[in-house]
Amino acid sequence: MSWPAVFEAELLRLGLQPRRARQLSTETVQQAAEHASAPADIFGPAHLYARHLVSELTVTAPVPMRTTGPVLLRLTGVGKRYRRQNVFHDVSLTVRGGEVAAIVGANGCGKSTLLRICAGLTRPTSGTVERTRRVGLVPQDGGTAGWLTAEEHFRLFGAAAGMARPRAASTGDHLAARLAWRPRRDQRVQQLSGGTRQKLNLVLGELHSPDLLLLDEPYQGFDQGAYLDFWQQVFAWRDAGRAIVVVTHLLHDLANVDHVLDLSS
Amino acid sequence: MTALVVASLSAREVGRRRLALALMVSLPLWFYLVRHAQAGSSIRMLTLGIGWAISTLTLFVVNASRTVDPRLRLTGASVLGIVGGRLLAMTGVGLALATGYGLLAVVDQKPLHPWSVMLMMVVTAIVAAPLGSLIGAVLPRELEGAFALFSFSAVQMLADPGQLVAKLLPFWSSREIGNYAIDGGSTDLIWRGLAHGAAVWVICTAGTVGFFAWRLRLARYPEPRP
Amino acid sequence: MIANRPWLHGFLDLCLLAMLAERADYGYGLAQRLAEAGVADVPGGTLYPALLRLEQQGLALPSWAPSEAGPRRKYYEITDAGRETLAAQAQEWTRFRDGVDMLISTVVPR
Repeated sequence: MSWPAVFEAELLRLGLQPRRARQLSTETVQQAAEHASAPADIFGPAHLYARHLVSELTVTAPVPMRTTGPVLLRLTGVGKRYRRQNVFHDVSLTVRGGEVAAIVGANGCGKSTLLRICAGLTRPTSGTVERTRRVGLVPQDGGTAGWLTAEEHFRLFGAAAGMARPRAASTGDHLAARLAWRPRRDQRVQQLSGGTRQKLNLVLGELHSPDLLLLDEPYQGFDQGAYLDFWQQVFAWRDAGRAIVVVTHLLHDLANVDHVLDLSS
Repeated sequence: MTALVVASLSAREVGRRRLALALMVSLPLWFYLVRHAQAGSSIRMLTLGIGWAISTLTLFVVNASRTVDPRLRLTGASVLGIVGGRLLAMTGVGLALATGYGLLAVVDQKPLHPWSVMLMMVVTAIVAAPLGSLIGAVLPRELEGAFALFSFSAVQMLADPGQLVAKLLPFWSSREIGNYAIDGGSTDLIWRGLAHGAAVWVICTAGTVGFFAWRLRLARYPEPRP
Repeated sequence: MIANRPWLHGFLDLCLLAMLAERADYGYGLAQRLAEAGVADVPGGTLYPALLRLEQQGLALPSWAPSEAGPRRKYYEITDAGRETLAAQAQEWTRFRDGVDMLISTVVPR
């Protein structure tokens, strides 16, 4: 395929409308012609430039003053013991709408347990939790059925949320496109790569548009591009007034979050 | 509504596992063929095979969705919607299997009361699904559940029908109905069988729903103070 | 190269708006003016996305014009919103520049 064709195909894959992709592809060729060069010489490999251009265009001017919304999650002195073993104690955290909180800490310090407590799947031994009603959880792995397709997952989780089937399917496709993923109708989840399965996990976590999103290292198996898409999605949720709690072990994620909770300290 | 979606997708999931499905469908056949020479015995063994196949299938289906169920619950599904849907699907698969083998037995062995042979198969399938799901609920790991089910089936197969323990086993109902179907006698056998089957079904279904309601319970947190 | 001048990225929009306020221009022309001013040799992969972004935000208005040789060109004209942004960013830049000047003036005499 020629450079413009690859470029346009990649733009489509990244979720742009066909007309817009065609237009950008034509313009890019003309821009290269201004320099009397081939597109590859000015812009580099087509698929990389497509990705770069889309991310440049989706990051609109930084909003200087972000307003934070109401408190959506508050942990006060929360602790968890399993039999004799103290997993953690006296954890406090307040997350408002429009904020991102990161939970960090060594392996086995109870990050996932704390997230399950936030979700309400595990009860704390001590302390109190206040939480908004609508919540979405994205577990570290699993949480999907290997023999079903992505579309069937949308229907299943949509039914759980009381959504009509067409709306669940179109919402799922739309959210997938934001992660640069186009689910195929004939592909079962077990045939997906680890990274794509995690994208499905993310989509399922937000299908019912929860106000609070709980993410447990949701980017395992993501390549660099998907990883950036993921964080862009997190900030898009944040800017839409939602609250996000994300378990992570990657320190460079922490520059852009509002709260960091270190469980191992 | 949720239950129907869960049911149709569960059935579809099982339907895609062609090899597992083929092995499951053929399991009762081996039981049947081993005792093919003795009409009564072969039909009783066939029922045991159906019970074993459907309860094992249900056990694995219930266990396989262990990581999905809490998420469905968080998304808004009720315990009854999730568990009911899976039971509905597995009962449907069981009924299809029972009808097929029932017809085979009727045509092949020409029993005394053909309709009650059909009834015997159907009752077995209906009881088998919640039995499998109850074991799956109590023992949430495949290996443990499978061993528990082996034990049930082995005792069922080997227990002396005169002993009390045989009457307490989950598939005693099909034995009672089978006695009428094969050897004839009073229709009391049918009613006793149906009553036993209904009791086992209620206990297993209620147990399944109860256990899942506990396992999938969500903490109720108050809305945050501003 | 823009790679060893990371701060330029934040002020590229400002430079482009300033040049467009002077006169409407197309991509290659803007790149040359930036280079002549000694600001930076901005690669196409940085320049054109920035122009598209200005267009998307309604800060610059594109129009097509034929060229004497070769393909037609996309000329950009600054809008009123663009002028407002330019004024605000220019002020911010001046403050930033003065601050940096003050910090380095003790070490690097003029």
